[in-house]
Amino acid sequence: MSSNNEQMDSRHARYELRTLLDTSRMLIESHDLGFVLNNLLLISMGKLFSLRACILLWDPIKKDYEVAKNKGKTGLFEKQRMNLSLSDNLKSKSVILCPQDDDGSVPETFKKSGFCALFSIRTSAQHIGYLCIGEKANKELFTEQELNFIENLVNVSAVAIANSQLVRQLRTTNLQLDRRVQEMHTLFDLSKEFNATVDLEPILRIFKFALLGQMFIRSFFFLLKRKGSDAEVVVQNGMKGEFTGDEMDDLLKIKQTVTRTGDSHRQKFPMLETNKIEALIRLELQDEVAIMGVGARATNEIYTESDFNFLSSLGNLAMLSVQKTYLLQERIEMERLEEELTIARTIQQKLLPDPLPKLEGLQVAASNVSSQQVGGDYFDVIKNGNDAYIAIADVTGKGIPASLLMANLQAMLHVLTPVESTMSEATGRINDIIYKNTPSDKFISFFWGRYDLKSGELTYVNAGHNPPLLMREAFSEPELLSEGGVLLGAMPTMMKYQTGTIALECDDVIVMYTDGVSEALSETEEEYGEERLNECVKNNVSLDADGILYAILEDVKEFTNNQYSDDITVVVLKKC
Amino acid sequence: MSNFTIRKRTADTVDVLELVGELDAHTASHLEDSLKSLIELERYNIVVNCTELAYISSAGLGVFMAYIEDVRSLQGDIKLTNMSPKVYNVFDLLGFPTLYDIVDTEEEAIVMFTS
Repeated sequence: MSSNNEQMDSRHARYELRTLLDTSRMLIESHDLGFVLNNLLLISMGKLFSLRACILLWDPIKKDYEVAKNKGKTGLFEKQRMNLSLSDNLKSKSVILCPQDDDGSVPETFKKSGFCALFSIRTSAQHIGYLCIGEKANKELFTEQELNFIENLVNVSAVAIANSQLVRQLRTTNLQLDRRVQEMHTLFDLSKEFNATVDLEPILRIFKFALLGQMFIRSFFFLLKRKGSDAEVVVQNGMKGEFTGDEMDDLLKIKQTVTRTGDSHRQKFPMLETNKIEALIRLELQDEVAIMGVGARATNEIYTESDFNFLSSLGNLAMLSVQKTYLLQERIEMERLEEELTIARTIQQKLLPDPLPKLEGLQVAASNVSSQQVGGDYFDVIKNGNDAYIAIADVTGKGIPASLLMANLQAMLHVLTPVESTMSEATGRINDIIYKNTPSDKFISFFWGRYDLKSGELTYVNAGHNPPLLMREAFSEPELLSEGGVLLGAMPTMMKYQTGTIALECDDVIVMYTDGVSEALSETEEEYGEERLNECVKNNVSLDADGILYAILEDVKEFTNNQYSDDITVVVLKKC
Repeated sequence: MSNFTIRKRTADTVDVLELVGELDAHTASHLEDSLKSLIELERYNIVVNCTELAYISSAGLGVFMAYIEDVRSLQGDIKLTNMSPKVYNVFDLLGFPTLYDIVDTEEEAIVMFTS
């Protein structure tokens, strides 16, 4: 009998060894945690004839246990988290048997679950968790042999569990790495594409797709505020409803770089609630601010810090490209304006007499240089029967507004000159019209004269213009032609404009100019001034009208080192 | 210029788009146009055959994201087939298999639509 028993025992032992060996081989080869744990539970329950068992795994980060696998009516559920707070004495044991080993530190819930043995799962390096086994179905106690077997099985499994945990960690890390690589690809792909595109629309569309694809989301919006314009949603997908202007302004007031939207945000901005916007990312670029809102992900994953990093990078890249297209649009607009100005300039040039009409017995030379494409200086020479009208004017300001007024004055002169009236009356009428047509801060300084080709008499009115110089050889100092009245456009004509009359003699020279000449600045900010002009005219008075004009322009050019900052107009008359 | 083309076929009630070449930020709008025109024609049963798709970027995936809900709300679907492992990896990485039917062959996808 005894030899039979011995035989049985040794067969039993062999069988157990084989189970252990097979299990260990199978477990070591498997990197599937679920499979390893399942095996450990099933073999243990089968071997110990137990109806309930579970495996608790220690979470070194959260510092508690998780029910990783549960079988039978234990009252526990998988993924449940729990604290064990066992005494140090119990922690050091490889097997804790209840109730005999319980020193009071075994949790109550545990005893209720009917567990009567806890096997510590550990490798030489770390504690992994516990295999908890309920009592035998037949209520017998575990034998020494059974406990030994399970202990061995637990040891073999411990290595396999540690391995599979490691593999799982590696997989997660790898997945994250792969995603980072994919994100890099996306950013690279986009920056390449954005660089090749100058249109806003394709940039926004590509940005949208990259965001949807990479984050695996359906809804998002990109709110942009450019300096000097209203905030607007420049691109979005899947958004229901629209933000009001105030809401957009308030969103832009959120200063945090990344905001996970909480209840308070969602209450304040119902759009965030409606569209399940989970996070807001603030982007800043020089004077521009943008808020990017991203909706829930189709995978239900929550956004991680590294997702936010990616979103910021992507957002910044898009913002930069959007800004680039805006700048380009502005430049194109500028160029268009420039082109229009060039056309305006051509028109303005045509308003000036070219060629100058030939007048018997009077040489006329004139020049007009605008500092900008169009200017406010004007001169004219109009022949009407036996009379010739010679005019010069300077509109306050420069550029387009000045040039419009100048065109207005030109039209009036051409309409009025053929009409019989005195110079004083005509000037008064022009003043009234200009006064009505212009804002109160726009004036015209104006000088004009009617020259009688037969008698050689010049009748003039000076409406606030720099007095032209009359140079007669007989006199050493020029005479100033200043009879007249106030600037055009300053007030309605209440006082008659005075007229001056001069009988021109042979070789008399009249130089009319705008303040661009007298106020031309040298590099040391010194004004050219009337003195220099007088001097220049005096020195060149023996030349013909063209020669005198050329001498003045050269002198100013030299003085300013060819850097005029204003419109310059000069008209020279010489009687012969 | 990337080389990317789309070949269109109609098999009964199902439209098949064969993607050929590289689907990236540059070519994404091409796919978008194709999907849009199918939706306009009220053809909502769409199979995208990826046999000859060499590469797909996030922008390419984004196009699918942008239209899947529209198509599904119209009782249709976009099903993806015949992906090379390399292309599948990208879809998988970003979680697409949870939202899209990705099957081995075009025939399987067509059967899913017709049965």
